[in-house]
Amino acid sequence: MRPETQQTDADIVRAVLAGDHERYAVLVERYRDRYARYAARMLGSLDAAEDAVQDAFVRAFDQLAQCKEPDKFVGWFFLILRNRCYAERRRSKAQAPLEAADSLPAVDRTDGGAETAERRRALQHALLELTPDQREVFVLKHVEGLSYGQIAERLNTSVPSLKMRMHRAYDRLREQLREHK
Amino acid sequence: MSEHDFHPRVKQLLDGDLTLADLPPELRAEGEEALRLLAAVDRRPVAFPTMTERVMLAVNTRPSPAGWRRMLEPREIRLRIRPWVLAPALALAAALIIWIAGPRTAAPAPSLVTVRFVLVAPEAKAVSLAGTFNQWDARATPLVRTGPNGTWTATLTLPAGQHQYAFVVDGVRWVPDPGAPAVDDGFGRRNSVLTL
Repeated sequence: MRPETQQTDADIVRAVLAGDHERYAVLVERYRDRYARYAARMLGSLDAAEDAVQDAFVRAFDQLAQCKEPDKFVGWFFLILRNRCYAERRRSKAQAPLEAADSLPAVDRTDGGAETAERRRALQHALLELTPDQREVFVLKHVEGLSYGQIAERLNTSVPSLKMRMHRAYDRLREQLREHK
Repeated sequence: MSEHDFHPRVKQLLDGDLTLADLPPELRAEGEEALRLLAAVDRRPVAFPTMTERVMLAVNTRPSPAGWRRMLEPREIRLRIRPWVLAPALALAAALIIWIAGPRTAAPAPSLVTVRFVLVAPEAKAVSLAGTFNQWDARATPLVRTGPNGTWTATLTLPAGQHQYAFVVDGVRWVPDPGAPAVDDGFGRRNSVLTL
């Protein structure tokens, strides 16, 4: 057996499906932090993001037999998390329309101080005013650093439609940031 | 276009396709505003250090993802595909694939057999499976259309023994599996027989 670090996602998925449930921890370790940030920026709340990521991993475990291409586990998992974030955002918006970025760490003294923190907080507030589709493309490109081509592949859509969505997001963010100055 | 809209060239700057120096002088200020927006993007990592423990605690209380209707990695022992024509307008072919699951250490169910039912029915809008294993409920076990060629499949884990069944096409047409032996059900219909 290969060491855990060398095991492919497909190796682990097959092992879990064969009954070695503990091996699923390797997949969680491998991807939890990468998607924690995506969820946090999409939801504007660390608590909600933590719940969403945890729930997505549990759902992915339950549905693992439906992961038709185990070597593409991470893309499949991302879509589960994405759906979970969309649902959570709809729910929280209905229950608490002003829920926003306040629960994200506002001040990081090692990274620019209060002014930077305030700019970040304002942008995160503005991000939450975007449609989920607009926010997602912004987060994937400017937080996660993916190219339009990578995002299009992940979301199974086209680059021109992503650009149109993003360009609307830029205008909306500018409007929001000016209004809150 | 509202007063808040960025100029298209500034959007290219935001997309990373241009630099500030590429913008004409009259767009520089707007370009700087756009870059300030991007500078406020929070790219700091987020970590949930107890996530793994929490997820594993949750999954360890749940049933196996390779449970009764999940596909294990089976050992295929038999494959039969026979074309079959039901009516001139409706070409159907049926196949029954039987897998016996390999040794299962997690689930003590040595008498269970995982079976995959396949029906090729390009014209069908819905296909389900009715049999002794689901009380002949034509709605209980739908097949899923899995390919562009009209292939419908369902995977079940059934107890060893003899089962009778039929496919139900579009909710009304009961179709025996021509790849399996059939018996008269006593009411003028033929049921397929599967012995595991």
